[in-house]
This record gives sequence, C-alpha cells and structure tokens, in this order.
Amino acid sequence: MTTMVVGSNPLVDLLGGPRPAEWASLREAAELRLAGRELPTTRDEDWKYTDLKLLNGTAFGAAPRTTVDISGHLLPEMVGTRQVFVNGHHAPHVSCASAVPAGVRYFPMSHASEACHALGSIGNGAAKGLFEDLNTARFEDGAVILVPKNLKVALPLHLLFITKAETPVAVFPRLLVILERGAELELVEEHIGEGAYLSCPVVEVHVAEGAVLRHERVQRESVEAYHLGTLKAEVGKGGQYHSRTLSFGARLSRQQPWVRLAEGAEASLDGLALLDGAQVADTHSFLHHAEPHATSHQLHKCIVDGKARAIFNGQIRVAPGAQGTDAQQQSRNLLLSEAARVDTKPQLEIYADDVKCSHGAAVGQLDPEELFYLQSRGMNADDARNLLTYGFAADVLTHIPVASLRRSLRQLVMARTQASSLGDLG
Amino acid sequence: MLSIKNLTASINGTPVLKGIDLELKAGEIHAIMGPNGSGKSTLGKVLVGHPAYEVTGGEVLYEGKNLFEMEPDARARAGIFMGFQHPIEVPGVSNASFLRLAYNKKAEAEGRDELDPLEFDDFIHEKIKLVAMKEEFLDRSLNEGFSGGEKKRNEILQMAVLEPKLAILDELDSGLDIDALRVLGDAVNKLQRPDRALLIITHFPRILETIQPQFVHVLSGGRILKSAGKELAIELEDRGYDWVLEEAAAGSQR
Repeated sequence: MTTMVVGSNPLVDLLGGPRPAEWASLREAAELRLAGRELPTTRDEDWKYTDLKLLNGTAFGAAPRTTVDISGHLLPEMVGTRQVFVNGHHAPHVSCASAVPAGVRYFPMSHASEACHALGSIGNGAAKGLFEDLNTARFEDGAVILVPKNLKVALPLHLLFITKAETPVAVFPRLLVILERGAELELVEEHIGEGAYLSCPVVEVHVAEGAVLRHERVQRESVEAYHLGTLKAEVGKGGQYHSRTLSFGARLSRQQPWVRLAEGAEASLDGLALLDGAQVADTHSFLHHAEPHATSHQLHKCIVDGKARAIFNGQIRVAPGAQGTDAQQQSRNLLLSEAARVDTKPQLEIYADDVKCSHGAAVGQLDPEELFYLQSRGMNADDARNLLTYGFAADVLTHIPVASLRRSLRQLVMARTQASSLGDLG
Repeated sequence: MLSIKNLTASINGTPVLKGIDLELKAGEIHAIMGPNGSGKSTLGKVLVGHPAYEVTGGEVLYEGKNLFEMEPDARARAGIFMGFQHPIEVPGVSNASFLRLAYNKKAEAEGRDELDPLEFDDFIHEKIKLVAMKEEFLDRSLNEGFSGGEKKRNEILQMAVLEPKLAILDELDSGLDIDALRVLGDAVNKLQRPDRALLIITHFPRILETIQPQFVHVLSGGRILKSAGKELAIELEDRGYDWVLEEAAAGSQR
C-alpha cells in the first residue's frame, strides 16, 4: 500500500495519487524517505533565497492524458528523432523516431522497462533530493535512451516534455540516458507548457568510458509554472558530458545538476537564465571531481530584469587524490533594473594539492567601454545597450550544434532583450 | 574639415590636453606623434566623444558644426571614425552582424539603401580582401579571442565598411607584424581620397613610411610642441623625442 506523508503539507497532495505499478521497490524507497518530510523553507541553507511558500495553497492534481499541437516545436534536423510526452504520458501520435539508427534504444519507459535497470542508481553517492524522490514515487512514464558501444549517432535526438494544465497539475518527467563505451550522442531536451503546474523532472545520465554526450536543455515552461529539476550524471574514464541549460520560462525554477567525473573525464555545465517580472531562477550545481585529471568548465549567465531574482550556487568538490584536476567556474550576471536581484556563490572544496581551480563571479550593468565602442560605430545608446544585452545572452548559444535550435533561441533572446529591431543578428 | 582651437580636456579632474590647436583639411594626412603619456590618444578619444574625458575648454568644429553638441553615435554617422588602440571584445554578437548593423545605421542616416544579409554578404566579401582578413573572422564574435593584429585588421575593415570622412587611427602599428602593417597601411592609403582626411596617432615613425603624412605634429604634456612636414618624422626616427622637448623648453624660457 501507499505510504502516505503524515501532516498537512503540499507533499501529501502531491503523493495523493496511486502508486504506478512498475518499479515498485524504487517507489517504496522514495516514499519512505519522503515520509514525514515537508517542503523546504528559506530557513534551510540550501533554499535560503528560493521561497517555495508559493506552492502552498495550490492543490496540484494528477495530470490527465490530453492532446497537443506540436507543430510550433518541430526542428527540421530532428523530425524523425522525436519522442513527446504530454502531461507525463507518452504521446505516440506526435512522436516519430523513424530516423533513429538501428541499435539505439529510444523508447518510452512504459514500452521498454527492461532497458531501465539502471533507473534510480545513477548518482547513488549523492543524497536523494526531495523533488527527486517525489518524481521517483509518482512518475508515470519517461524516456530511455541507450546507445550501444562505439555507436556515434549522427542525428540529434529531440525530447519534448509538454504540460497542458487547465487546472493545476503536477507532472514528473523522467529521462534515463545511457551511453556505452565510446558512444556519442547529441540530445535536446525541452520542457514547455501552458497554465499553472508543477513539474519535477529527473534526468539520469550515464556516460561510460570514452563516450561523449552533448546535452541541450531548454526550459520554456509557462510563466505560471514551477519547475524543480534534478539532473544526475556520472561520467566514466575519459568520457565527456557537455550540457547547456537555458532557462526562459517558469514563475519559479530550480535546476540541480549533479555531475561525477571519473579519471580524465571532461564536463561542461553551462547555463543561461533570462528573467523578467517576478520570475525566480535558481541553480544549485554540484561538480564532483572524484578521480584525477578530470576537467570541468562552467559558465553560468543570468540577465535579470523587473523584480526578478536569480540564484547561483556552484559547488565543486575535488576529492582527495584527484590530482591534476582542472576546474573553472564563471558566474556572470547582468542586472537590468533597480529591483532585480542576483545571489551568486561559488563553493569550492578542494582536498587535493595538485589542482588548477578558478572561479569568478560578477554582478553588474553593461560595461561603459563596450557601450562606447558600439556608439562610436554609429549605434545610438539604446541600440548599443540592446545589442550588448543580446550578446551577453547569445554568447551561451553560440556553440549549440543544432542550427535550427540555435536560430530559434537567438530569436527568443532577441525578443526578450529588445534587440529584434536590430534585424537579423544570426 | 576639422578645426581645433585651444582645446583642453581632463580625466578624473586631471588635465590631459592643455590647449591644442589643429586644422585638418579634406585630402590631408596628419600625424600626431609624441612620447607615451603625452595626450595623443586622449586627443583622439575626445574627438569621438569617449565618456571618460571631460572637455574643459576650447572649441572643435567639424564641417562647421560644434562637435561637442553631437553624441558619439551622431559623430560616427556624420563620418568620424576612430580605429582604437585596444578594440573592445563583444561576445555573442557576430562580427558580420555587427558590421552590417553599423553599415546600415550610417546608410540610413545618409538616406542610402540599407543592405539585407545577402547583399551585405557580397559587399563584405569585397571589403575583407582589402585587409586580407580570413572569412572565418566574419562568423566569430566581434573581436572575441582575436589577436592584437586581428583586432587591428578588424578596425580597418570597419573603416572600409563605414568609409568615414575623417578617420583617426590610434597606434595602428601596435600588435602588428611588418607584413600586416604593410597590408593595413596600403588599405588605409586606398581608402584615402581628396574629400577625406586622416589623423594618424603614433609613437613610432615606422607606420609613416607606408601612410605618408603631409603634416607631422609632436604632442607632449598636452600641447603641440612642434609642427612640420613629413621630414620631421624622419628626424624623430633618428633622434627620438628629447630634442623636441628640450627645444620647446628653451623656447619657453626665452
């Protein structure tokens, strides 16, 4: 039977639905960990700046099956590599994976549960987060991607998690990605939606020895939505994991990437948050250099307007014996209004002595020298400001390998930075 | 074209220019030379309206109009260009987009047709030949990760795109090897026309072998100490600056 959370808190409602049949033991374990817990408050150090009080008083129900029009979300490079989930359920009629090469397993979990034996086991060195457990307890379906040894997948895969909420609902998107030795993959993961809802996605990534995963993560949730995401990635010897998380939507969002690097592995963990109005975007990242000679690179940028708020907490741990570690972290933030706010904190824990670690954090306005340079070329002050703001954000998009995605995100950034009047900046 | 009278300027309250007089006519090439810290770069930056400098006195007329009543961008659209010693890097904005934007702002101001991305593509491919720039530098972010020499090449490319009436080039030769200096010097010469004027700011006379000025001025301590023809540059190459400073000091004692 379902272990119910005791007490009057929103978690009770969130766990109110029936426990799905598959992976019963995983779900029971998660429910046990959740028993008696409540939503974190700003008294918890980890949630000091991100107030979940907003969630109180909203009863998030189970998300019904529904249909959506995805024509506005198709990307030409990925028309035949698309899996779509709507309100947490696989949507076969709008999915199309016909172009995925043979050998790659790319299915909804409900169709391929035998391929999901690694579910819940990635990042077992780390504590399970509350929203991660919530997902594990109640997710209905999700995607599993398994790329076999040495297969280099030429086409990028496209995963769309769509939420359509007429009344407040809770959804639990789930993704498991396994790259076997020497495999290579490009993956685009998008979260979009309409209405007021809570989405708690969990992404588990295993990159085996010498494998390479490039992972674009686009959060374009509805502005009424709450997005509380967990990512756990383990990168094997000499493997590479490159991710870019682009946050545009949601009333409140939190990204919690956790990455463990084995010997000689490489990771990049870049981020961009573009915030306005009363939006809050929080990134709490954890990069674990567990073994020697791994390299990590992290560039996190936020543009904050209105009375929006961005939070960045970048933890890097270099384990004892992880000699030759090279870890670089940059947090750069642009404040566009008086009421905008950024709280940024690097957190380096270094237990090895032969390491190269650097971090930097900057919060401020546009550089007057840059403004003057553009003005000296004939642009008026407003155009110069808009172009620089655009450039500040677009910098993170420059290396997105999927051209159509890069273009559409640039356009989105242009619109949000009032740079559209400047014409095509591609 | 440009008439500077008794110009004084300061930065953070410290006077840097202490009374500059200079006349530039269309078709002329002037060189401003002088030791480091003499105020040469300041003069250029004041003319293009850098916000760090405060004009404290004097007058500058550009084509008969009071230069200091124009914003920096209006000066640019009116045909003034400065090639900077240390051009700024702008990540996220491609060089080609930036160049097209700058071109179109000027075209709009002059009532000429703006160019769409395809038309501009043809246009810019002719221009990059002039400065021998590799095509890949068009797609890269503006000046980001460019070497010192590549940045200078990009400044002259901007000059070729904007075709200014008055171009001020600040220490064009710094960061350039001899071959690149010759290429860029030749490009500047090709862009010079009877209706345009050039002001070359340089510490070293070397660049003046390629871009030959009719007038050479030695600036030191915020004042022009000596003005003469291009033979002065050759003399400075041989003798350095000290003798000019000594001569000026002796002159002021008399």
